[in-house]
Amino acid sequence: MTKDKKLTPEELVKSFKNEFKSNIKDAIIKKRAAGSKKNETPSIWMKVDKSVFKDVVKHLCEIQFPHLSIASGNDLGRNIELIYHFTVNYGSRMKEINFNISVDLPKSKPEIDTICDLIPGALITEREKMEMLGVKIIGIPDDKRCFLSDDIPKGVYPWRRDETGADKLYKNLHGGKK
Amino acid sequence: MRFSMLPAVFAQMFKKPWTNKFPAKYAPANTTQFLADVDEGIAEIIPPVPTPNGFRGKIKYDKVKCNGCQLCIKVCPCEAIEFKKKEKKIKIYIARCCFCSQCNDICPVNCLTMSDEFLLADTDPYSKDLIVE
Amino acid sequence: MNQEATTKTSYQIPIGPIHPALKEPVHFEFEISGERIVDVSVKLGHVHRGIEWASRKRNPIQILYLAERICGICSYCHPAAFALAVETAADIQIPERAEYLRVIQGELERITSHILWAGVAAHEIGFDTVLYLTWQIRERALDLTEYLTGNRVTKGIMTIGGIRRDITKDMLPRVKKDLQYFKDNFEKLCHIFLDDKTVGMRSQGAGILTKKDALKLCAVGPTARASGVKKDVRVDTSYFAYGDLNLKYITPDDLTGNVNGDVYDRIIQRLLEIDQSIDLIEQCIDKMPSGDIVAEPDIQKLLNQLKKVKGEGVGRHEAPRGEVIHYVKFDGKSDSPYTWKVRAPTYNNILPWIPMLIGEQIADIPIVAASTDPCMSCTNRVAIVSDGRKYELTKEQLHKLSVEKTRRLMK
Ligand code: SF4
Ligand code: SF4
Repeated sequence: MTKDKKLTPEELVKSFKNEFKSNIKDAIIKKRAAGSKKNETPSIWMKVDKSVFKDVVKHLCEIQFPHLSIASGNDLGRNIELIYHFTVNYGSRMKEINFNISVDLPKSKPEIDTICDLIPGALITEREKMEMLGVKIIGIPDDKRCFLSDDIPKGVYPWRRDETGADKLYKNLHGGKK
Repeated sequence: MRFSMLPAVFAQMFKKPWTNKFPAKYAPANTTQFLADVDEGIAEIIPPVPTPNGFRGKIKYDKVKCNGCQLCIKVCPCEAIEFKKKEKKIKIYIARCCFCSQCNDICPVNCLTMSDEFLLADTDPYSKDLIVE
Repeated sequence: MNQEATTKTSYQIPIGPIHPALKEPVHFEFEISGERIVDVSVKLGHVHRGIEWASRKRNPIQILYLAERICGICSYCHPAAFALAVETAADIQIPERAEYLRVIQGELERITSHILWAGVAAHEIGFDTVLYLTWQIRERALDLTEYLTGNRVTKGIMTIGGIRRDITKDMLPRVKKDLQYFKDNFEKLCHIFLDDKTVGMRSQGAGILTKKDALKLCAVGPTARASGVKKDVRVDTSYFAYGDLNLKYITPDDLTGNVNGDVYDRIIQRLLEIDQSIDLIEQCIDKMPSGDIVAEPDIQKLLNQLKKVKGEGVGRHEAPRGEVIHYVKFDGKSDSPYTWKVRAPTYNNILPWIPMLIGEQIADIPIVAASTDPCMSCTNRVAIVSDGRKYELTKEQLHKLSVEKTRRLMK
């Protein structure tokens, strides 16, 4: 399933830029050294347009089957940002690249395609994004709640920072609004 | 080998148990009575395993040295420290403290230290033993 | 509609939220046909504590201790990953000595955790003498932890930009003595787990996770490696001092020559990793340079510096159970991070349970579920519901079933 092609971070970014042109909005390569020998670990932060997100993941799977660590999310006010933390090139000493693909979704219509058909391991993290950030994942095989209990009302998304956040549920906790 | 644990089990028969039997060889039926007996000298407590150097136990507070800068309150992860406005001193609720010793590290005059006292169980979180001021 | 379609051929067994073999609540629904499991579904979140919300009111130094309390056994890994993420976001360089000390603490935690797991696994198949032996060894590991960090479980050793306690010259003899003790007992443990028939009988061929499934379901840590996936954050990337050290991927074929991906392989995998960890600590002690142990000793200054940071960072660390990853974003406006996302290794190792459990027997649930070393909490009862009648199976009974199976096999 995995092809044994190990791309450098620069080649990886270039390959995506060639394929998706202006739909790749931003791509930064950061390197961080550690230890006495100062060996570096590269990470790529890439922002893609919502319309091509699924194809980007497909393209990545074609280059090499990635490991999806997690998808995290930010509520940026008008938008919801999802960041998918992939890693590629695992399996050889110090060659791994952290590959973070982020995508902005407008809060008025937070919808994105599922990637479960490409990477089945994405199921739990996608279900988490659904309940925590209120993102609609189109085509997800299982849309039951995974982490939140059933007595939490619909339309409350704990990770949001606006009125749909869970602040009103916290009133009985220490430090919550009384 | 089929029963590879047997040698270890036989060897154990001639060894002392690993467990330190604190506070008594057999759990006392009545702890209060047991403690009263200890006070009177009838019973004896088997001491706990000594703590190593640098153990983080109950906080000690040197009130005189404290200058009321409130830095410890800023870093305390458990909100265990309260500021007494009038005196400009602090009050630590040990029941909330998680013994991280972060307040010790930040205190500019080093008036907080960690002692090796760890037997702090109590039924009342506000008991005298659990408040340091 | 014919007769067969209306007759129910399979039953549902809900297990959990309070659950055997697991240390935290999780809910399973097993579809069983006779003794065989045909389908599994999982529900999580019974102990969701809203830690990420709690972080919104705390500064990074306070969050370190919040992260420490995500898990009692991985109480070093979470602060480590968090500190890595913050250091990446704020671009703080860590002194070299601290990098080595961080490795030592991380590996010590791995030894403690894997030995604990070996005991739990033995207990699940009814081999309790091994449980006592392993926990005796673990006691030594905990004592060493207490000696090096100041507490047995919540170590409080990590800080942003370095580490809080040094290992001085006069502490080394004790560390070396204990390492020697681990090595001697490691031989003993290997002998028991690899040569004793009891263990082999119950674990060989049970709970198989193929390499393909492990890759597809994004399994991490020993669970993935036992299926032959070469994935280990320590080897894959360079963080802490792991980049300087001599280490390689460990998979069960190093010892047995082939990979089956069953429970037995996961046992071998963890045993081999204990050996690797001892070796890594020794390497660190030899190679450790002298110098500072923390980049910015003044915490007040550090906090002010972090307050101005604007940016995001990811920290990944190989915890005993696999990769833990923390994502942190600072907006430069407040003391506390804007977003903090934690992903513990078990999160990714939940989906692999499904292929592992399908086709197994009910008596195998404890050992198969325990074989991924899940980080959830221990439990009391399983209810078997069939035809509206309800039987309850307590943890003791389920455990008994498991022990009986071992007895049966021994005859
Ligand atoms: S030791 Fe930690 S928790 Fe306890 S008072 Fe000090 S800072 Fe707070
Ligand atoms: S940091 Fe030290 S000096 Fe300042 S208030 Fe706390 S105890 Fe007093």
